[in-house]
Amino acid sequence: MEDVVKSAIRYGGPAVQDADPVLEIGADSASTLNRIGELANRCRQVLLEMIYLADSGHVGSSLSCVDILSVLKFDQMDWEAMRSRVDSDVFVLSKGHAVPAWYAALIVSGELDRACVSTLRTLDSELQGHPDRNRCDLVDVSTGALGQGLSIGVGRAEAKRLKGQNSYVYCVVGDGEIQEGQVWEALMYAGVRHVSNLVLFVDYNRSQNDGALDEIMSLHPLSEKIESFRWHVQEVDGHSHAALRDAVIAAKNNGTQPSAIIAYTRKGYLGRDRVLLNGAHGGSLTLEEFEQAIEFLRESA
Amino acid sequence: MRATREWFGDALTELVAVRDDVVVVNCDLGSATKTLKVKQKFPDRFFECGIAEANAIGIASGLAQEGYRPFLASFAHFLTGKYLEIFQSIGLNNSGVVLVGTHTGLAIGKDGPTQMGLRDLALMRTLHNMQILHPVDGVETRQMLTYVAANREPAYLRLCRQPQREIHPPDYRFTFGEPDVVRRGNGLALFGMGGTVEVLLDSVAELAADGVDPTVVNVSSLPVNPASARRLFHDHTYAFVVEDHFVKGGISDELARIVLETKETVHFGTWGVGDYGQAGSPADLYARYELDPAGVASRIRAFLGNH
Repeated sequence: MEDVVKSAIRYGGPAVQDADPVLEIGADSASTLNRIGELANRCRQVLLEMIYLADSGHVGSSLSCVDILSVLKFDQMDWEAMRSRVDSDVFVLSKGHAVPAWYAALIVSGELDRACVSTLRTLDSELQGHPDRNRCDLVDVSTGALGQGLSIGVGRAEAKRLKGQNSYVYCVVGDGEIQEGQVWEALMYAGVRHVSNLVLFVDYNRSQNDGALDEIMSLHPLSEKIESFRWHVQEVDGHSHAALRDAVIAAKNNGTQPSAIIAYTRKGYLGRDRVLLNGAHGGSLTLEEFEQAIEFLRESA
Repeated sequence: MRATREWFGDALTELVAVRDDVVVVNCDLGSATKTLKVKQKFPDRFFECGIAEANAIGIASGLAQEGYRPFLASFAHFLTGKYLEIFQSIGLNNSGVVLVGTHTGLAIGKDGPTQMGLRDLALMRTLHNMQILHPVDGVETRQMLTYVAANREPAYLRLCRQPQREIHPPDYRFTFGEPDVVRRGNGLALFGMGGTVEVLLDSVAELAADGVDPTVVNVSSLPVNPASARRLFHDHTYAFVVEDHFVKGGISDELARIVLETKETVHFGTWGVGDYGQAGSPADLYARYELDPAGVASRIRAFLGNH
């Protein structure tokens, strides 16, 4: 523990000194995108800090979905810590191992205490290694074993329809996760039943635990497969905030089908063509790797 | 004589009529699990998932998280086969789903072991927040439905296929976790649940000639209140548990743990299904596995003779 504290001091203090009390998303599209960009950069710094301090976690998988989560959390999603998600949008991180990205977004938004940064994966922490709604109120659905989140998302979306509520359910799955059969059961159900208040992101980072996705079990042609399950499918650059934002708006405008947004991402993506740890799935960071990444992000900000 | 799944179907339909929060999730077994009346009367409260239990478990969990009280009914064997999904999407999420597992025990008969709910209790007992309920007759089924509709705990309602006679008077009041004494005797206490309780009661006549006058206990909900079970062990010299379930993992294990932890000195014995089961008529199966009144009486005699 002492080492961790020392390290934290050595790298020059927390990446985010104080969270902005109010997130001001710009009125026009250009300033909105700038703001999302800034916040996403800070999310990357915070999640790296968390995983570095925990000496454990999935860096690559968290970094690949930061831009998706940033567009949702800071702009598109009707989601506030103080409002029950029974009456608003719901966020399901089905690839639960990427949860540092969600915790980081909450810290950057000021909804989660900055001090939590050092508690990831520690005993009795709200910040479990995989999201746990019974330990953290800001987690909507507990996930971890892959393949289950989309089904719960479908159930929540169905419930909102039955209540006549105009809210959306957003779910993020990993590309490797789609190899789980239950995902296809959920895709089949949502397509047939026109669950149009459901938006699915596929974090298509092309890599999974044992190596390249295409070598382990290719999903190709994923877009056609999901379309054939009667979904509205869009393919976007998963690190382009503009493209992600437009895709979410288009998804919400489709009132008859559920929407899948296949977001092509890079594992460990830091920005400006740089990836961390060669895009590895998990693993801890050395102090040097961590410091270089933070420096890169600060320069890119 | 009526199967508890029939009582369940009627009581559930009544419940949906009076409570806006009760919904049904189905996996193409509505005719067998008796939930189709809900579909006919309240189609918007009935979510058909097709033959996809894992997804149905997730959908039910999502509905529960939004404030509904979903009843997800299927064969116990298929439903509890999705253990990882129940563990995470319902257990760890603490989602207030009522899982309804029908066709438990050997009674499904000729369809054989790939359809028999013989290890569902073992799996559901491992989940810390799961309430397990198994009614013995119509009165208890209705009581249990009222009970589960009024709370938000994850629950597993276990139901039988075979018709069962009414054991309780109409004014019976179910209390969760309390072993229910349906016959008072001396010396020996017999424990069972669901369809087995009737078999235990019928074995009493066979045992009378041997001078055995047993107490019969309906263990209709788990976890069992240890203090209540302890009193029963304390008041008897012998305790024998019979279950239409694998002999491992069911109520035998639940009660044995209480005996050991409370240091009661009662002589303890068990009888249940000791292999994967097989196809056959229910009567033939219950006779072969010695889970009919004659078989149970013979097992009880052997147990008493050995102690």
